[in-house]
Amino acid sequence: MSLLHTLRSVLCTALAATSFAAHAGRSCESKPPTADAVERSMALAERAAKRLDATGAQVVVLARAGQNLSEYGLRYSHLGFAYRDTNGWRVVHKLNQCGSAKAAIYRQGLGEFFMDDLYRYEAALVVPTEEVQARLRPALADNTRVAQLNTPAYSVVAYPWAVTYQQSNQWAIETLAMTQDPAAATRERAQAWLKLQGYQPTTLHISAFKRLGARVGTANVAFDDHPNEKRFSDRIETVTVDSVFAWLNRSGLGGPVQVIR
Amino acid sequence: MKSSLNRCFAKAALATLLALNLAAAQAQSVEASMLSTLPVAVSVAAPVVLSAGAVLTVVAVEASATGAVWVLERASDGARSTLRLSAQAAGGLSVVAGTAVVVTVMSTGWVLSAAGTAIAFIPNEIGAALLYNERVTR
Repeated sequence: MSLLHTLRSVLCTALAATSFAAHAGRSCESKPPTADAVERSMALAERAAKRLDATGAQVVVLARAGQNLSEYGLRYSHLGFAYRDTNGWRVVHKLNQCGSAKAAIYRQGLGEFFMDDLYRYEAALVVPTEEVQARLRPALADNTRVAQLNTPAYSVVAYPWAVTYQQSNQWAIETLAMTQDPAAATRERAQAWLKLQGYQPTTLHISAFKRLGARVGTANVAFDDHPNEKRFSDRIETVTVDSVFAWLNRSGLGGPVQVIR
Repeated sequence: MKSSLNRCFAKAALATLLALNLAAAQAQSVEASMLSTLPVAVSVAAPVVLSAGAVLTVVAVEASATGAVWVLERASDGARSTLRLSAQAAGGLSVVAGTAVVVTVMSTGWVLSAAGTAIAFIPNEIGAALLYNERVTR
């Protein structure tokens, strides 16, 4: 490859990267909720609490539908771990902070979890096996352990097999891995465990994005953690709720999806 | 070179378009939790005033370092209720004396709204059990 060609490639890549960066980290639109939205969210939280109680489980994987992702063939947008505490159910999950390319771990009530600008007032849960729950439960109440594999740098489409960024669902399954195998103490090792257990991410095709239209949102987007051969053949792999639920069931680590409406 | 640069710009433009569309997709939820913009009452005195569909008027707003207190008056009979909000919850609110407020009763508490927008959530015992917020990492 000639030097000129190399320089051209570098320039082009930098230009493309700048284009992405310009759209990362937009601040969130902070619109106050309507009374109806509050009522429906809290009602969903109340129904979810009852359903979680009825499972008899100590830990469940809980998902919400914050966005319409039907163009991607996806039903849910975000998941966390709900666990039974002396004061009720608590959800540990990772949230992207508006206006930055960062995200943080939160422990919230079901009210806060569903008091989002939901697309559908519907939730879904998967009950992990008792063995999986028993290993997860102590870690979820431990702030050091839930933070252990957290990478603050956030991309909405973070590559599942890289450690540059980490999106919310990715934090969840890596943390799951960490609790199940003491050797999975780093993100790389947790990802190796997930591969070994047969986890398969969702592949998003660019043609699907094009159909979505151009409503400019707030999510932080980066592609530089994706392998070039996949990125440039329009295959963007990332961790989705639907792929996690399918894997939990397929691998025998969890039961079927239960929908809460 | 020129055609190569054109391809490069085309690629950058495509990248921008994809970023826009991806941002639209928001495969993840962002921290747009409505509760972060909706004050939750710490305490309420005389909640009997908070009946379904009641129209109240904010007659007094007192702000202090420890929080804010709203005094609400029911239009029909002048009965009053006092609502206490934490300083954090009350921050950034534009509720002033004279604001007309509508009460919505739910199984988890009450929602006060003004001009169609929720301005406060007052949890009852069921609602309070569903609420908790702790940021674990910075």
